[in-house]
Amino acid sequence: MKPLKLTPSVLELDWAEVETKITRFIKDYVLKSKAKGIVLGLSGGIDSSTVAALSAKAIGGNNVLGLMLPEKETYNPKDIEHAKIIAEKFGLKTEIIDITPVLEAFRKSMQIFDDKDRLCKGNLKARTRMVYLYYYANRLSLIVCGSSDKSETMIGYFTKWGDVAADISPIMDLYKTQVKKLARHIGIPKEIVEKPPSPTLWPGQTAEEELGLKYETLDLILYGLEHFMKTDEIAEQLGLQKALVEKVKKRWQSMEHKRRMPLTTKLQYRTVGFDFRIPFMQ
Amino acid sequence: MDGENMKEKFLLALAQISCQRGDKKANIKRIEEYTARAKQQGADLVIFPELSLTGYTIRDELYELAEEIPGPSTNAVKKIAKNYDAYIVFGMPELSEKARSTVYNTAVLVGPEGYVGKYRKMHLPTHSVFEEKRYFRPGYQAEAFETNLGKIGLIICYDIFFPEVCRLIRLGGAQIIVCISASPAVRRAFFETLTVARAIENTAFLAYVNLVGIEDGLQFWGGSRLIAPNGKIIAKAKYDEEDLVIGEVDYADIKPVETFVPTLKDLRPELFDKLKEKAENL
Repeated sequence: MKPLKLTPSVLELDWAEVETKITRFIKDYVLKSKAKGIVLGLSGGIDSSTVAALSAKAIGGNNVLGLMLPEKETYNPKDIEHAKIIAEKFGLKTEIIDITPVLEAFRKSMQIFDDKDRLCKGNLKARTRMVYLYYYANRLSLIVCGSSDKSETMIGYFTKWGDVAADISPIMDLYKTQVKKLARHIGIPKEIVEKPPSPTLWPGQTAEEELGLKYETLDLILYGLEHFMKTDEIAEQLGLQKALVEKVKKRWQSMEHKRRMPLTTKLQYRTVGFDFRIPFMQ
Repeated sequence: MDGENMKEKFLLALAQISCQRGDKKANIKRIEEYTARAKQQGADLVIFPELSLTGYTIRDELYELAEEIPGPSTNAVKKIAKNYDAYIVFGMPELSEKARSTVYNTAVLVGPEGYVGKYRKMHLPTHSVFEEKRYFRPGYQAEAFETNLGKIGLIICYDIFFPEVCRLIRLGGAQIIVCISASPAVRRAFFETLTVARAIENTAFLAYVNLVGIEDGLQFWGGSRLIAPNGKIIAKAKYDEEDLVIGEVDYADIKPVETFVPTLKDLRPELFDKLKEKAENL
């Protein structure tokens, strides 16, 4: 069999069709869940901007609440400005809440809190934002719409029960470079599309620097893995060290625990996460 | 039933519906509504998608929803067929008469005269997003059923990838092959090609009816169609939306195609033994 050619063109999709499918999916889910609308975190980054725009296109901007949840360490007026541009362009409702006091309270209440451990602190920020989103969702009968993309989800580049926590994740089957193309297609401003992606867990953090790979390359590696290609084949085609591709593969596989319900051990007839296979009922 | 009562020419309806998952009553009601509308437009045969009694993605709910044939749901649809003086094809999970939780994915044909016949899906997709072998036992026979509308053969969805099933019912005398389906959007191109191919290679009419709607993130693409023995599309339903489309079957069209491309005349039965031998040693 002819091997798959890993060129950027493999990531091309019909973006108008993708837009239709995603907006139809969002609308259908909101309708069937009988929710009054959507709440989502609006960071000013590409993923949340894209999901916010798609949600507005699906159910109307006045049914979408974008929460901007800055905190002082990573505060960047540019991000707030970008979030506001999106809100205005797609007619979203918004609220800004500074989560710094809550983070301070955590800092004070935990003896083991370590300011220098930026990963633990960063995860706390992501999980705090999740708490806000779910409070709004519960209180106002909304569903939480997540912004995780396929690249991040595959390599586990997200906070467990943090930014990934949502009721639906409309762009989870699109790689980051594909999200960029979709974003352009649906009219997300250039400055947001081209801004270096960041989870904003600590100041100056950028995804590509932290991962040591450009998304253009990472996505092709992941696409190859998705299509059952061998690591040496992927490395050869992309002109990369096999060790690097192996590392990505290992990372992808070792992060399964972040993508599933917690593992239990089977004891009884039917078990959550194993063989309880219930459909999402309408 | 052939002879003078048999219609050489009739209208059929592609009833492209979405289903209320797990709600047989609601789906039977929908079958009745669409049958009424189809009959109003002169249709003598109304075709509904695969598992249209229950919805496609029902997972463990299947054990509660499956019924024997004949059974309450078949009887209800039988009554609709009698009331509207029409033949109806629909799909349902069929409980084996001899076992307690052995289930088939079945297409049922009822008509003004009552229950006519059923077909149990032979090829159960269990790959990608499909898990049919987990739940269903495959069928072992395919036949053509005699009706006032000529000989009708039934197949289900993935069966269309295996030319043997259509061939078998064609050799059983079927002049029209009815394929009921629940095909998600990523597979559209395959079906658009295969439906035409099966009609041409068997010099028979082929009516393909697909589900629409979203079930557990799967978007069913619709696009139901009636294809003439020469591969021409006689009638085609919308993509992605519910639709009811009427098309005319005229068996007189089979003869000129059969003389122009005489696939049945040129069949080589000795190849079938070879096929069997090779397939057993794949």
